[in-house]
Amino acid sequence: MSQSPPVYHISGWRDTRRRVLRNKMVIAGLMILGFFAVLSFIHPVLQATVWSSRQSVYRPETGHDPTISNPSGPALAHPLGTDSLGRDVLSLVTYGLRPSFMVAVATALSAGVIGTLAGTSAAFFRGRYDRLMSHVADAFVLLPPPLIFLIASKRGLLGAFELGLLYGLFFGLGPAAVVVRSRSLAVMEKPFIEAARCAGGSPRWIITHHVLPDVLPHTAVVVLAGVVGALITQGFVEFLGIGEYRYGLGTLVYNALAYGMSLGTRAPWSSLLAGALSISLLAASFYLISAGLREVNDPRGGERRV
Amino acid sequence: MVGFVLRRILGSLVTLLLLASIAFFAVNLLLPYDFAVGVGQRPGAIAFIREQLGLDRPLWVRWLDYLWHLVRGDLGTSFTGASVAGLVWGVLPVTVAIFAVGGIVAYLLGEWFGRWVAWSRSRLLKGASSTASVLAFTAFPPWLVFLLLFFVAEPLYRFRSFFGLAPIPARAHPGDILLVVLAVGLVAALVAGVLLRGWARRGDHRVLAATAFPGCLTLLAGILAASGLWGETVDRLLWPSALMATAALVVIAFGESMLVMRAGVSAELSEDYVFTARAKGLPGRLIRDRHVARNAVLPVISRLITSVPYLISGLIIIERQLSLEGVASLFFRAIEAADVPVILGILVVVGLVGLALRIVLDAVEAILDPRVRIEGRAR
Repeated sequence: MSQSPPVYHISGWRDTRRRVLRNKMVIAGLMILGFFAVLSFIHPVLQATVWSSRQSVYRPETGHDPTISNPSGPALAHPLGTDSLGRDVLSLVTYGLRPSFMVAVATALSAGVIGTLAGTSAAFFRGRYDRLMSHVADAFVLLPPPLIFLIASKRGLLGAFELGLLYGLFFGLGPAAVVVRSRSLAVMEKPFIEAARCAGGSPRWIITHHVLPDVLPHTAVVVLAGVVGALITQGFVEFLGIGEYRYGLGTLVYNALAYGMSLGTRAPWSSLLAGALSISLLAASFYLISAGLREVNDPRGGERRV
Repeated sequence: MVGFVLRRILGSLVTLLLLASIAFFAVNLLLPYDFAVGVGQRPGAIAFIREQLGLDRPLWVRWLDYLWHLVRGDLGTSFTGASVAGLVWGVLPVTVAIFAVGGIVAYLLGEWFGRWVAWSRSRLLKGASSTASVLAFTAFPPWLVFLLLFFVAEPLYRFRSFFGLAPIPARAHPGDILLVVLAVGLVAALVAGVLLRGWARRGDHRVLAATAFPGCLTLLAGILAASGLWGETVDRLLWPSALMATAALVVIAFGESMLVMRAGVSAELSEDYVFTARAKGLPGRLIRDRHVARNAVLPVISRLITSVPYLISGLIIIERQLSLEGVASLFFRAIEAADVPVILGILVVVGLVGLALRIVLDAVEAILDPRVRIEGRAR
């Protein structure tokens, strides 16, 4: 029996992955995101290993280091310094990152799912349903989710995850649905959809195997850009402390400003910078991934001749 | 053209009613308590206040009532008894002036920088501008305001005292007529500057293009000086917190417009018509300003206009940080008191501003791009 030649297999996903990972913005975004993801889980590990002799000092909200004068700048014992109350800023950051990640994940999930459903269904069914959905999407585009988020956080009952879901609902029915719908309409006009129909493809097969793979990257671009707004609004809600008191990166910024002034010391730069830059960089990582994906999606890609 | 705009306005009315309905249910369902609980203590008093305000009626009756009022152009009455339209109108000039001036300045800066970076084709510049604009776009507003207060506020106050002015404008309060005049005048001068510069560039009047902005602003200053209100105007123009809010808004809005402009110009640079223009021997400046930039500008404008609701919410956060008496103060007070009609009024007005700007954008696109115009007619 002769050896059969290797099967030539074209995988759209593998090709996409290669192109995505070649984009510098995506790589930068993923690296920042990975760094913060590790940071948000690292606290228990550090408590068990490096800080095991003085665990109570590094407890995120109640810790206090009596051996130095507070606030203090970065040192070996406290890589990001301590705040005015003597708490270790690194452990505050690691705990503050958790609600931010919750909001980001919840927003991305709900905006992605709702936007995809609303957009593809409008493009698929057309007619009266499409016209209605377009008007609804227009209305949602004009309603700023950050303001709704601020109103809802007043309730105090909703946690970070629920608030993220709410933000995603408003974002998904608005901007995400608009983008997904126009993209799906463009795809459904293409000849390969007609070819698939002629070959006997069922609507479900066509949507899952031909329309969605084309639409999903574009959904990801809008949804990740939406996460930026959700993260900054969440930081602001924590900063204001409206609703129930919950600890977050915004609280870190607020404490640095408020305690720094009330205690008569200068604003502790290390904790102020750590809080504000963590929010900024986390949001920037999502924005970078979104912008990078947008570049990858555009096959013309700006980098042509001349 | 008139029919196109009319049809757009009719469609917008439907959108506006939908927006008001969504906002109505969202606000009523999301707020944890109603106004009466905040005022009355005894159960009887609470029930009485609810009845007075009509809060005892079912939600859908209140919804229909609200829409009926809205259709007649009435934003309703605040639970405190004041007219919502009056309250919003009182705080609107400050916010609108800051928003319009900040938006236009951010657009101009973004357009100029984006064009310059893309044209230079320097990879170092490209990387630096990307980093800067992403950081500006994602800056945490309270942090931005803190930086401004820390570095800019002191010199601003010193500057004011140099002119013999009090630290804070004496009569710059909501509803100040001069503030309204100033807001309208500044926006008009800047828009006139943009239009005049565009026209001068098309005709290649270099001197006029360079002096369009200073000229329009000088004209405004001249009119104000002639009317004898010069001193009071300077007092309001040098309002520290308003200036800082404008600066913060420019930082937030600048990054996005820069990136879109840069991407647009880079894409246009590889088009055949640029090659032809070069071969024809046109000077680079002409190719850049007259051919490439004009094709790349439309996406920048449309991106700015579609992000208006987000920029306004960013501005509300900034205003709150600077304790400026703008829409933010009204909004947060209304949330605190669960004053639903006021919250709804603000959301509807923000939506109206966005909607109006989008109609303008559609009309501009239709004028500039014949494809849109003809398609719109065929539909």
